Amino acid sequence: MSVVESPPARPASQAPAPGDGRARGRRRSATSGGYAPLALTLPALLLLAGLLGYPLVRMVVLSFQSLGLRQLFGDLPPDNVGFANYVKIFTTDTFYQVVARTIAFTVVSVVLTVVLGLAVALLMRRVAPSVRIAMIIAMMFVWAMPQLVATQIFRWLVDSDFGVLNYLIDLLPGVDFANHSWFADPIQGWIVITTIVVWAGIPFIAITLNAGLTQVPKELLEAATVDGASAWQTLRLITVPILKPLLIIVTTLSVIWNFGLFTQVYVVRNGRPEDEYQVLATWAYSIAFKNNNYGLGSAIAVVTVLLLLGVMAFYLRQMFKIGDVD
Amino acid sequence: MVATAPPAAVRKRRRKHRESDTPTVGRSRFGTAAANAGGVLFAIVMFFPVYWIINTAFKPAPEILQFEPTFFPHTFTMDNFKSAFNAPFFQQDLLNGVIITCGAVVGALLVGFLAALAIARFQFYGRKAIILVVLSVQMVPFVAVLIPLFLMLQRFNLTNSLLGITLVYVGLILPYTVWTLRGFISAIPRELDEAASIDGASRFQVFWKIILPLTGPGLVATSVYGFIQAWNEFIIINTLNDQAHQNLMAWLLQNQTSRGTFWGPLMAGSILTALPVVIFFLIVQRNIATGLTAGAVKG
Repeated sequence: MSVVESPPARPASQAPAPGDGRARGRRRSATSGGYAPLALTLPALLLLAGLLGYPLVRMVVLSFQSLGLRQLFGDLPPDNVGFANYVKIFTTDTFYQVVARTIAFTVVSVVLTVVLGLAVALLMRRVAPSVRIAMIIAMMFVWAMPQLVATQIFRWLVDSDFGVLNYLIDLLPGVDFANHSWFADPIQGWIVITTIVVWAGIPFIAITLNAGLTQVPKELLEAATVDGASAWQTLRLITVPILKPLLIIVTTLSVIWNFGLFTQVYVVRNGRPEDEYQVLATWAYSIAFKNNNYGLGSAIAVVTVLLLLGVMAFYLRQMFKIGDVD
Repeated sequence: MVATAPPAAVRKRRRKHRESDTPTVGRSRFGTAAANAGGVLFAIVMFFPVYWIINTAFKPAPEILQFEPTFFPHTFTMDNFKSAFNAPFFQQDLLNGVIITCGAVVGALLVGFLAALAIARFQFYGRKAIILVVLSVQMVPFVAVLIPLFLMLQRFNLTNSLLGITLVYVGLILPYTVWTLRGFISAIPRELDEAASIDGASRFQVFWKIILPLTGPGLVATSVYGFIQAWNEFIIINTLNDQAHQNLMAWLLQNQTSRGTFWGPLMAGSILTALPVVIFFLIVQRNIATGLTAGAVKG
């Protein structure tokens, strides 16, 4: 598995050693390109600036403006409203409910995905090769499934009239699940949404961690067992610490992805999520494109990005470490 | 890799002698059987939704609409695929999707390769800043840029056009393209460049005859992943364009909301839409995991 072996190891010549000066000199002479590097990066930078940079700046500006259909179609300049959008957000109860719901969902779904993913990765080490191949094939299909298609499948699985889930639960003695609607009660609805996200999230984590597990020296595990460590102690004191860098990365990524939850809610609620189903991303989208209040929607988007910033900064720092090395 | 050691031998001389290359200490035959059963159960549960979409897509409508589902189609039919294929806008959106996606991939690859080359092979002022920009923009939730993008494209009359959305998708997949290609290029030993230079190759020849051919597999993997990203996108295109200018994912969404749900054609349409992605994904899976977790290696 290539996860752990990817970037080429730091060449010895770059280490602070006697050869350092020479290596540095060579490196400089090989890389002084004058204006070449800037010319090479210019097209990419222009595109990124136009398609992502400018819109980001514009979003921040918009969040201090009032822009609705009147301005859009009347071709009027948007009114500057100062902090009015933010005041509006921070003084509504909906905001706090949506933030709490988004955070609660993120915590629950990330913990479930990472714990289950680790459990599956460990299980993969113990099963027979044929079983392991079956597990990998199943996970590959799940991983490859586009989010929208996955969500459509689950809508069909939990369909109140003809869904196979209701049929299976109905088979249990004494349970009547015929025509049970899973989305009438938001808690059950959220169980379905979380299931979709966790189901889709497990393969990446399990396969990545399983690759990481091959790096755990077996001598260490054997030594621990010989010394009388229980399976749980071995996991907690040896396996997890060695996996820690990988665990941190997959957890960070899961937080970033799940915090931005959109597709599953949007599709499951037919494009119009009720109040009980709104999370930050869907709420910003609804306010902007359903209520045509682009200023307020932008303000919510800004708050969302700010809330995510800490996690994102952490991920960037980790990624930056290799950018530094090679 | 886990090898199943002969349980009897392991049990007898557990502490002293092992044939397996993984620690089998303390593993009973019962434990292994339970693990295998758990693994099989896991595979079945994970795969069931995938199986169910295939199962449904080949059933005739009356068989789909009964409370007691059949776990294997009693009558096989291709009707659902036919009706999805002939549904309004399906073929149009299929063609659009191919044009938009391929356009975006080619665009991002051309521009991204140059930038990746600069980042991987040159030390220059602002290099770190560029890496930071490339990495950070792909973290931003798409809703954040969707609102200004919509206003921007509307100003240039680029909503409801294939060109506008293709440009947006170039922006969408460019950061990942640059980042992955950078990794592939830096994996090529610098000594090769130098050897060629000493032999009298120009900078362009080094690029054309050494780096480009050696990055070949990387280019394929990167473009396939870009294809998947662009093909799967539906929220931006659904917001910016009408049905005649959308892709298959957006078509799936429209098909769901417009008039109730016809599960058979919807599942068949989903299969047709997901098929290229699944095939491509299986080809490049390894690189995707590597790109996402590369930072973990250096701890």
